Amino acid sequence: MTLTIDYDFRKQIRSYNASLDYCFQCSTCTGICPVAQLTNGDFNPRKLIEASLLGLKDMLIEEPKVWYCLTCQKCVELCPQKVELTEIFDVIKNYCVKEGKIPEAFNSQAISVLETGVALPFSDPIMKRRRQLGLEDYKTVDPKEIKTLLKSIGFDKLLRFDTPTTDKKEGGK
Amino acid sequence: MPFIESSAKKVFEKLDIKMTNMENASCCPDPTGFPAVDQTAWLTLGARNLSLVENKKDDIISLCSGCVETLKMVNHTLGEDPAKMEEVNNNLAKIDKKLNGKVVVKHAGQLLYENLDVLKSKIVKSLKGLKVAVHYGCHFLSPSEIIQWDNPFEPTTVDEIVRALGAESLDYDSRLQCCGNPLLKTDKDLAYDLLYKKLSDMKNAGINCITVVCPSCFLQFDYQQRAVNKKYGTEFKFPVLYLTELVALALGFNDKELGLKFHGIKPKKMLQELNIISNE
Ligand code: SF4
Ligand code: SF4
Repeated sequence: MTLTIDYDFRKQIRSYNASLDYCFQCSTCTGICPVAQLTNGDFNPRKLIEASLLGLKDMLIEEPKVWYCLTCQKCVELCPQKVELTEIFDVIKNYCVKEGKIPEAFNSQAISVLETGVALPFSDPIMKRRRQLGLEDYKTVDPKEIKTLLKSIGFDKLLRFDTPTTDKKEGGK
Repeated sequence: MPFIESSAKKVFEKLDIKMTNMENASCCPDPTGFPAVDQTAWLTLGARNLSLVENKKDDIISLCSGCVETLKMVNHTLGEDPAKMEEVNNNLAKIDKKLNGKVVVKHAGQLLYENLDVLKSKIVKSLKGLKVAVHYGCHFLSPSEIIQWDNPFEPTTVDEIVRALGAESLDYDSRLQCCGNPLLKTDKDLAYDLLYKKLSDMKNAGINCITVVCPSCFLQFDYQQRAVNKKYGTEFKFPVLYLTELVALALGFNDKELGLKFHGIKPKKMLQELNIISNE
C-alpha cells in the first residue's frame, strides 16, 4: 500500500485537538493498553498517534483500527505529554464516518438516538417491570425534539439507513 | 435495568436523600459510541441534558459511569472553550434551550461514599461471607483530571463501602482492567478474551460475587459470563450485584423487593446460604 501524506488532515486533527503535537513517541500508551496486549500490538495507540502526526489519512481511514479503542483512558492517564489520545481517536473516527465508514453497531446505536432520543428505548416489558418494582412511570424526551435538534446539525446525513439495523441488543432486561 | 434503579431509590430514601427523576432527558449520550460518530452532536445532546436541570439548581446523580463521564466532560469542555459553548448554544437555540454554566454531576457511588457514616448507622444486616471482587470500571475513575474523584490507579472508595457492609473485598490481578464491553461493537471475541482474563483472576483470588458501579459493566459481567464459558469451556457463574443492590441488602431489603431474580445469574441461593436473606 502506498502511503500518502496529507498535511491538511494532520492540520485538521490539530485544530480539534492540539495535544497531538506533544507526542514524543515514548510508547507508554501502548505499554498500558489492554487491546494492544490482547492483539499483540496489532492495535497500537502510539502508531495511531504517529500516523496522525504524519498525516497518513488513508492508512487511518482505510484500515480502521482506531475503532478497537475501548476508551478506557488508561493511556490518557499515563501519557507523560498529556496527549488526549481518546479525543484524537474520536476526531479520526468522525472522519471515517464522514467518508461513509461507520461500523454497523455504532451506526445502529446512533440511529436509535436520532429516532427515539435514547440508545435503548424503554420497551413495554421494561415499563412493566418498573411498575412491578414500585418505580413510577418515567417520561423520557419527546423524540421529535431530539430529531429536530440532530437534523439541524446534519447528524442524520452521517448515518447509513440502507443497512438493516439491529435494534435489539442484550440490554433488553 | 429497573432492578438497579429500584435498589438505588430504596437506598437513598433510607439515607434521607431526595431524588427525583430527570424528566425529558435523552441519552447522555454515551462517551464511547456517540462522540465516535460526531463529537459536536455528543456535546450538544449532553449540554441539552445539563440545561434541563440548570435552572432548577438541582445536582445530577447518575448510576451510570458513562453518563457521569459524558456530562462531566461536556461541563469541562464547554467551560474551557467559549467558542464551542457558543456553537453548542446556537444548536440548542433551535429547540429553545440554552446552557449557561456548570451543573454539578455526581456518581451515585460518590454520593454513597460521602454519606458513609449515615449509611453505617443504618445497616441492619451484615454481608459477612460475601467475598467481593470490586470492578471499578473505566469511566468511574478516568480521565481523573475531569472526573476528579478516586485515584485511577489505586482506587479505594468502593472497597471501603463494601467493607463497611461487612463483606470482604478481595484484590485480584486485573482489578483496574476494562470489562471489555465496548469491544462487543467491534470484535466480540476480543471482548470475551478481556472478560475471561478478569474472571480468571477473580476466581484465583477466591471471590464469590462481583460488584460493579456501571450498568454497562453489569451487563458485561452478568450476561457475557455465559459467552466466555462457551468460548473457553469454563464454568464461571459469579452473581453480579450493582453497588446499591449490595447496600440495599445490608439495609434489610430482600431479593424479592430488589427484583434480584431478574438478573442473568441469580444471587438468591448464595445469599441464602450465607444467611443474608431468609430461606423462604
Ligand atoms: S504515551 Fe503519549 S507521548 Fe508517549 S507515545 Fe503515547 S501519546 Fe506519545
Ligand atoms: S483508551 Fe484506547 S488506546 Fe488508550 S489504553 Fe484504552 S483501549 Fe488502549
